[in-house]
Amino acid sequence: MSLYEHRVLFLTVTWILAFLVASPALSRLLVFPRTEFFTELWILDSNHRVDDYPFNVTRNQDYSVFLGIGNRLGYCAYYLVEVKFRNQTQPAPTSFGPPANRTPSSLPALFNITAFVADETVWETPLTFSFDYGYNEILSRVEFYSLTLNNVKVDMSDYTITWDSEKRGFFGYLFFELWIFNAATNSSQYHERSVGLRLNMTVY
Amino acid sequence: MLRKAFSVLTFVFMLLFAAASQFFVSVTVAESSEDEAASALASAEGAVVSAYQAVLKADEAGANVSGLLVRLNEAGELLTHARMAYRLGDFDSALDFAVRSRERLNGFVVEADALRGAAMQEHYWDFMVNVAGSIVGAVCVVCGGIVVRFLLKRKHERTGSMVK
Repeated sequence: MSLYEHRVLFLTVTWILAFLVASPALSRLLVFPRTEFFTELWILDSNHRVDDYPFNVTRNQDYSVFLGIGNRLGYCAYYLVEVKFRNQTQPAPTSFGPPANRTPSSLPALFNITAFVADETVWETPLTFSFDYGYNEILSRVEFYSLTLNNVKVDMSDYTITWDSEKRGFFGYLFFELWIFNAATNSSQYHERSVGLRLNMTVY
Repeated sequence: MLRKAFSVLTFVFMLLFAAASQFFVSVTVAESSEDEAASALASAEGAVVSAYQAVLKADEAGANVSGLLVRLNEAGELLTHARMAYRLGDFDSALDFAVRSRERLNGFVVEADALRGAAMQEHYWDFMVNVAGSIVGAVCVVCGGIVVRFLLKRKHERTGSMVK
């Protein structure tokens, strides 16, 4: 058998062997790069589902939800979640549209949650909350006294909700704004994401 | 008579002074407690930021930071409680939570730096063996193939075989 007859076979075997030996390096070099870097933020109901969120709220009754964050930023992130409450007329945060137009609500935070989440992992925490409020018949509005969130009682004496004659209810929004710590500037900035619960405060 | 009135007046003044001093002492204690809590809170916040930056560097170096993140989340939760207690005016609890948060991070940066060093070392050897080593190996295989083919060709030419 001459070398000429087996030249193709010889070259094929040489190249296959070379590729096999180079495969550890190729596996690192031929990886499709990640192009999308983002954070997920969600609320799930007490059964870890999306079909039984608290809506009709009774005074001093406990309600449970799960708050979750999924980190797809490519690095370990330091998140802050600001828990806020607003009525129909107060400013809401914006999470959609051009990035420059996404702003947090100007309302003060009632509660802060800190979370450190590694890349490609999720973080989730149970939240149990209840509202203490009363109905002012003269002014026809709901007046809040406090919010209890995970056994921490927060003063809400400045908060009121007036009757919504169109939708027929006293509607409030408990919402969660996501902020992220920027290591370069050593400060937290709004991460352009928020989720919330629309609540009907029942008075009878 | 005058002497009796004077002694009563002195007694009243002494009582007033004692009451006033107690009030001022309690105000001063409250202020120092608030200052102490604020200082502990600022210190705990600084410790959390330093710890996060150390974790970030270790993570960038490819270290497994999951254990560190558990501790950091615990410290963060304590810091959250400290902030809330401070806002509610419960300075003793704020101080307690802030101190506990800081204690949770004792030796944290050193540990993160050690993990980072180990990860960098591991990364270096991984690069040397799996990237540089395999590229050099592949080049050797190709060169070896060329040399073998050249030697076989020469051998065939010597023996008179027709090798093209």
